[in-house]
Amino acid sequence: MSQVASAVQPQAEEPLLQVEDLVVEFDTYGGTVQAVRGVGFSVHSGKTLAIVGESGCGKSVMVQSIMRLIPMPPGRIMAGSAKLRGTEILGANIIDGKDIRGSEIGMIFQDPMTSLNPTMTIGDQIAEPLQVHRGYSYRQAFKRAIELLEMTRIPEAAKRARQYPFEFSGGMLQRAMIAMAISCKPAILIADEPSTALDVTIQAQILDLLKELQSETGMAIILITHDLGVVARMADEVAVMYAGKIVEHGTVDDVFYRSAHPYTVGLREAMPTNDPARQHKLEPIQGSPPDLFAPPAGCGYCPRCPHAMKVCEQSQPERFYLLGEHFSRCWLHHPMSPQKPESLYFKDAQQ
Amino acid sequence: MIELTRNDFDPIKSKAETQGELRPSLSYWQDAWRRLKANKRALVSLYLVIFLLLFAIVGPWVWRVDPALQDLDQVGQAPGVDRRAVIIDEYAPWDGESAISGFSGLRLSAAATTQAVRLNWDVLEGANGHRVYRNLFPVGPELAFGIPIAEFFDNETLFFEDRLDVQPGTYFYSIVALDLQSKITSTYESITVSVTRVTTLAEAIENKLVPEGAFLQSGDEILLALHPLGTDYLGRDMLARLMAGAQVSLFIGIGAPFLFVLFGVTFGSIAGYIGGRADQIMMRFADFVVALPFLLFMILFKISFGIGPGESGVFPMLVALVILMWPATARLVRGQILQIREQGYIAASQLLGARPGYLILRHMLPNTMGVVLVTLTFAIPSAIFTEAFLSFIGMGVVPPTPSWGSMSNEGIKYMLISPHELIFPALLISITVLAFNLLGDGLRDALDSRMRNFE
Amino acid sequence: MWGYIFKRLVQGIITVWFIATATFFAMHSVPGDPLLNDRAVTPQMRANLEAKYGLDKPVLTQYFVYLGNLSRGDFGISFTQENRQVNDIIRQHFPVSAILGVLAVVFAAAGGVLFGALTALYRNRLPDYIIMFLVILGISVPSFVLAALSQLALVNLNSLFATNILPVAGWGTIRHMLVPALVLGLGTMAYLTRLMRSSMLEIINSDYVRTARAKGVPPARIFARHQLRNAILPVVTVLGPAIAAITTGGFVVELVFAIPGLGRYFVEAVQQLDYTVIMGTTVFYGAFLVFMVIVVDVIYGFIDPKVRLE
Repeated sequence: MSQVASAVQPQAEEPLLQVEDLVVEFDTYGGTVQAVRGVGFSVHSGKTLAIVGESGCGKSVMVQSIMRLIPMPPGRIMAGSAKLRGTEILGANIIDGKDIRGSEIGMIFQDPMTSLNPTMTIGDQIAEPLQVHRGYSYRQAFKRAIELLEMTRIPEAAKRARQYPFEFSGGMLQRAMIAMAISCKPAILIADEPSTALDVTIQAQILDLLKELQSETGMAIILITHDLGVVARMADEVAVMYAGKIVEHGTVDDVFYRSAHPYTVGLREAMPTNDPARQHKLEPIQGSPPDLFAPPAGCGYCPRCPHAMKVCEQSQPERFYLLGEHFSRCWLHHPMSPQKPESLYFKDAQQ
Repeated sequence: MIELTRNDFDPIKSKAETQGELRPSLSYWQDAWRRLKANKRALVSLYLVIFLLLFAIVGPWVWRVDPALQDLDQVGQAPGVDRRAVIIDEYAPWDGESAISGFSGLRLSAAATTQAVRLNWDVLEGANGHRVYRNLFPVGPELAFGIPIAEFFDNETLFFEDRLDVQPGTYFYSIVALDLQSKITSTYESITVSVTRVTTLAEAIENKLVPEGAFLQSGDEILLALHPLGTDYLGRDMLARLMAGAQVSLFIGIGAPFLFVLFGVTFGSIAGYIGGRADQIMMRFADFVVALPFLLFMILFKISFGIGPGESGVFPMLVALVILMWPATARLVRGQILQIREQGYIAASQLLGARPGYLILRHMLPNTMGVVLVTLTFAIPSAIFTEAFLSFIGMGVVPPTPSWGSMSNEGIKYMLISPHELIFPALLISITVLAFNLLGDGLRDALDSRMRNFE
Repeated sequence: MWGYIFKRLVQGIITVWFIATATFFAMHSVPGDPLLNDRAVTPQMRANLEAKYGLDKPVLTQYFVYLGNLSRGDFGISFTQENRQVNDIIRQHFPVSAILGVLAVVFAAAGGVLFGALTALYRNRLPDYIIMFLVILGISVPSFVLAALSQLALVNLNSLFATNILPVAGWGTIRHMLVPALVLGLGTMAYLTRLMRSSMLEIINSDYVRTARAKGVPPARIFARHQLRNAILPVVTVLGPAIAAITTGGFVVELVFAIPGLGRYFVEAVQQLDYTVIMGTTVFYGAFLVFMVIVVDVIYGFIDPKVRLE
């Protein structure tokens, strides 16, 4: 792998957040689940990294363990590092004695209905990080909370700030969540399926809002989703996760148009398109993800893969770099593989 | 990196089709049972409940002692006490003649037995008469003599025979000198007496301790009747009474919840199914019943039923419990029915022409059964508590019918002398309540996934 | 909010009427003539009672007379104590029961919330196990056994230290009240602890606590501002019934500790079949409990914005 990676032009600036070899386990009654099995990625200012994968692939656990939000125990970070501007934050989240959660990294969640405290006003909840991290008085913080609500396009913000979550609609709540997450002007915003629980029209509004705020503040966004449409709309880079590993990583164009992993191809074929030139029959991926109580010795996708080979069952594929930062963990890219990886790359072109 | 060969890159068949749901599918109740079995605490409580039921139902067939029979040789006897008794002659009146001589002061005139304790004494200094006391404890510096058992206002009579409910063990007898006004002075003498248990041959034969015509002489030892858990203050066998009490307590404790849950389910499902105005009125009524001060009305109903002589008071208590405790179940079941009514499969069933009765019996009630079962399990300890509480304040089951509560009530009076009379019934109440509570917890956890959906 | 309180008060009055009616007819179904029992009813008392209730008139007339008296707050005259007003009896004995009950409720609620929160925070660790063991004891040991045992313990304690700091029985000073109130509140406290624990556990794992942690809020502030207030809500909802359980559960404690409260007086009145005292006490207790439930609901409204604003 290193021989391929050396050919890559390294990014000029240092990454804002660099995650390496993260391993997370959970103790359950059924045994130990390896939810995240050695994940690494980096995030740059002003850019959006999308992490895609089906339910249970470990994408939420991964970001929540970086933020120390998983319950520990039963959760456990076994290995890895996460560096924010070069400082290790994994397991502590503290730089210079200050909690970076809420100040350096903001986070919004999937279900805004349950993610806000039902007995606190919206304004108080938005004001809270300002009081905690920035030392604002309650009055200052509440005033700023109203401005933030205005920034997230909530009408009658002054009145709304004094209301409780049950008086808000789902889309409004998610805007309030965003206002709360960006209140301390974080360098990174983690959005864990921010639009999944919302109506389609509201989804688009929320995503547009995130984009606007990004261009205003220059923050990086880590967007977790299982929706490829959202990825195409939002992301600069994409990491595809499967069974606790990143199986393919690259720019949006790389991953969409030069898909290098059979799982990515499978995801795309299961997704409808409105481009008449590329219309195809929707193909579901057969089977279900592997049991992470006993992770497979080889590639996790192997039992479902139409291109599976003997080697896939036996050993984990390394990162095979293709072009620039684009890599795929698939044995098809090994020089000895008889099947041509091009069959994956340009599938659309061939059709 | 591992060495790979060309061979490793041979294609294999995709196994996607074979990856299915591997766990066998279980029905709702099978699944609940499986979870309950995995819960150790619930399983232990289930065994306890079964044991308690056996104790009440099978117990009296195994331990065939009449719970009302008084064993006057052993009154207030703790469990595990020495049962030996010595045969002596029939009681003969005593004229004060001493069989033991050579002592002065307060002394025994014969060996102290449960038949009689005979005391002689010499006139105390300055005495104008004597008062005799008996105590369970030494006199001590604060001059606690115990209970006065005899008084003599002259110095003529210098003997006394104590036949008042003498039990085996140690007593402290004192005589205190009386002054001219017949008031006690500080002059006293005290002796320690250890009493041995005796019985006469006639009594032994009458109590079936020895076969008729058995040849026994004075001084022979026999064994008195066995009371594994001792006897109460009237000499009744504790084990037999606890078993009889278990029948009463568990009958009320399980019977009443069954009845009121049944009534509550009927009432609640009708209200929930009809809905609208009728539902409003029915539930309003339930609210009123809830507002009645529970224990006061239990007592009130008990009075208004009027318990005649020879009745046990079990039936009025059962009825009162049912009248006062049904609304909680009714509310719960109504809520469930209201939710189930909105479910798609009810509409589907209606489309297929199902009638209301069928809908209620086939779809709605089975889906509320889990919740009802949990309610029932939690209602049992509260009913048992209520019975015990009322019997304890003397408003429950009428003596001599034993129940754990009334036994505790009697036991508390003798708490200092024979604590087992309180401890055993109290322990049984606690174990029963605990077992049903833990079983209820286990059931709720086992049925949880379903109940969550309804909450 | 005011409309809500008014509505609840009207409902409460109707409920009290229902209680009064149920009490009246329950007592009137008692077999036999209350005045013909072999009990010392002086002609004077008989005359008074007949004048007051028209005992020779039809039941329905008596019922309306009774309701009329009740609405003026007049519970009548005792059957067994010559010309003693039931109101006076309540006025004399209820404050004792109320003080005992308030102490017990405070003890149960404070202890329940505190221990419940502790067990949830120390879940599956030693403090959790110790407290939950005591809770199980508190739930399964009947109050009269607790009362008897604590009295026994007091006797031994006082003789051991040769003091009388916590008297074994009687009433008067705070020293008399502490142990009975503790015994009375213990069962409810155990119940509230369990409730608080499960409610707290649910909230510890809730999404909004995760949000608060993602905001970097320190744990102490999360506990105070996000967890406690939400976890207390279910505890407050059962406080009404809990107060009812404690006030009526006071009978046993008053009996065992020889406390001159209304509960003990009620038990004595029942034994003597003192009809007016029984009825008066029942209706009084019923009204008191209805009122307490309303108070608790209103308090709940102030804590839960959802109820307050609707």
